[in-house]
Amino acid sequence: MTRPRPTWPRIGGWLRSGGVPPAPARTDAPPDTAAERQATWVEPRRGEQITAAVGTPAAPGAYRAGAEDAGVALARPDWEDARWSYLYGPDTDYATEGPAPGALAAAARRMRTGERPADVRGPIVKEPVWSWEVPVYFWFGGIASGSAFVGLACDLARDGRSAATARKVALAALAPCPVLLISDLGRPARFLNMLRIVKPRSPMSTGTWCLTMFGNLIGLAVGSDLLGLHRTGRALGAAAAVVASYLGSYTGVLLATTAVPLWARSRVFLGPIFIATATATGAAATRLTLTATGLPEGHPTNRALQSVEAGAMLAELALSSINERRLGGLAAPLLEGRHGLLFRVAKGAVAAGLTLTALRPVLGRRPQAAVSVLYLAAGLAFRVAWVGAGRRSAADDVAVALTARR
Amino acid sequence: MTTADPREISVRRDDVPRVGFFTDTTVCIGCKACEVACKQWNDLPADDSEFERGRSYDHTGALSASTWRHVRFLDLLEPTEERRTQAAEALASGAGGNAPSLPATHANGDGQVDVAEAVSAMDRWIFMSDVCKHCTNAGCMDACPTGALIRTEFQTVFLQPDVCNGCGYCVPACPFGVVDRDHIDGRAGKCTLCYDRLQDGLEPACAKACPTDSIQFGPYDDLVEVAAERVATLHRRGMEDAYLYGAGDDADETLAGGLGAFFLLTEPPERFGLPAQADSPIQEHVVPATLAGVGAGLLAVAGVAAAFLRGARRP
Repeated sequence: MTRPRPTWPRIGGWLRSGGVPPAPARTDAPPDTAAERQATWVEPRRGEQITAAVGTPAAPGAYRAGAEDAGVALARPDWEDARWSYLYGPDTDYATEGPAPGALAAAARRMRTGERPADVRGPIVKEPVWSWEVPVYFWFGGIASGSAFVGLACDLARDGRSAATARKVALAALAPCPVLLISDLGRPARFLNMLRIVKPRSPMSTGTWCLTMFGNLIGLAVGSDLLGLHRTGRALGAAAAVVASYLGSYTGVLLATTAVPLWARSRVFLGPIFIATATATGAAATRLTLTATGLPEGHPTNRALQSVEAGAMLAELALSSINERRLGGLAAPLLEGRHGLLFRVAKGAVAAGLTLTALRPVLGRRPQAAVSVLYLAAGLAFRVAWVGAGRRSAADDVAVALTARR
Repeated sequence: MTTADPREISVRRDDVPRVGFFTDTTVCIGCKACEVACKQWNDLPADDSEFERGRSYDHTGALSASTWRHVRFLDLLEPTEERRTQAAEALASGAGGNAPSLPATHANGDGQVDVAEAVSAMDRWIFMSDVCKHCTNAGCMDACPTGALIRTEFQTVFLQPDVCNGCGYCVPACPFGVVDRDHIDGRAGKCTLCYDRLQDGLEPACAKACPTDSIQFGPYDDLVEVAAERVATLHRRGMEDAYLYGAGDDADETLAGGLGAFFLLTEPPERFGLPAQADSPIQEHVVPATLAGVGAGLLAVAGVAAAFLRGARRP
């Protein structure tokens, strides 16, 4: 048996040398030129395995036991932590005997119900992280579904040419939607993960599938129209209109199914409000397109579109004001601040549009295109205001606490 | 209550119990060892340091995509008349099992210490180590459109980072404000209840690091049992306000169906940034909201059609 050589005399020598460690002798000075470095450093090691031992750079290592049934150091067959804690020793008096029946629930009830305490320290819920793409998508999706409604109605009124135009408007409005939605994702490259499952419980999953279905239907409908297959186009357009009744409303459901007080408390109003905006903006976009492509002003389709626009916007105003009254103080983010201003401007634009329509006998037909433009702009402003106000509502800790107290 | 909803996306294994955290705020000393241990084990980046972000000595502020444990500091600086009376009564009845040693400065002119006065004059500094609640009715999991959020075999809620595409829906869908999307990474992040450690029989890093066992980990039913005993003990000692947040409630009063990570609190939940009532917003609202929305949609289809048919009939 050989004893290992003691190393301490060398350390001692180093200490005695004045505390400066001896400089390592330079055995090989770096070659002067790149070609020489390549020849002396790189070429001899060519073919050597120099991959990192675990995983690859910038990616997590795969979780895998080193061998089958390999244990982890200090692993236990099950978790015994609550049992061995020193808190539960016989002399600690930490937790000694159980509560009387019902006492535990009563203690929680006493603190969790009744008046909201004056002292609220947030943040309680997180603000939504969605950026500008989401309200703009709501707007485009709304126009697409509203135009699909109009397409079906035109077919029913036997105006095939306008119906085909309405479907083209719907397809055009739908085109930017996937782009907007994908660019809002934190990881846009993974957008297809949305389609790896169908999840009826999640409005975003159902909405994604609805958007996919609507896109296919309306695309095929427009294709059939262009190929002269009018019956197929009509059938596909009708199917698209039915799907659009969810496409236009699920966005409201998406907002309502959150912990944001303003949205959650408007739960039965958001879907109808969003559908009303969708119908109005879809009709407005279709009417502008039809007018631009030479539909005469007095045509029944044009007149019907005007009344649809006005009726849908009236419904939206009525639903909004009922909802605001219901919400009381929780509606503050919709009425105050930047988004409140936007919301008021949108309402003003709608009122101006309605006035212009009412004054048609006086003003003549010329300003009627302006009405549609006003409605389209108001629709966008409504979407932006609703999403932005929700962000502010979530940041209002007192409102969140009040909502949670029921 | 402890069985997972069969409609959930879940890993199923019958031989393991539901596990959870019992966080007892009455023994927390605010050392933030759990935050550090969590960051170390899960390889999470540091928060940029900003003094008094949480309106206290708490530099962390809130849970986020890269902060999965957060020790909330609660400074209660104004002793109220009610508290003064409570303290006096508790001390008179001899209930204070371990009355804290009193600072000498509270001696009055006679050299006598007015104990009730002194106790009530002390500022209370309460700490609560906040974490993902691993709800029975998890709003984030209901919201997730990709199936990235799943129920594990331990009945915790786990976010699969390789599936998440950062849609951001789970962020407002959490009634406790736990999940967040990382603005650099792009994905959502939250406590995994150390899923990787659980599979090897190790307790989560935060519970392992906790020096006072304020964070206790174990099979859920055992935890609820000891937590109930702890509440009863505190009540007996005169701490009438002690209660469990998220466990031990009657079936119709639960928080999100019961919280996998529950807390022993002594103040109203709002002071800790917790909602008094909560449920998965999806389960709560999706049916009425969808019915109203689709109903209005079909009504709109009919209304538009009616307007056109009326217009067509008119000459």
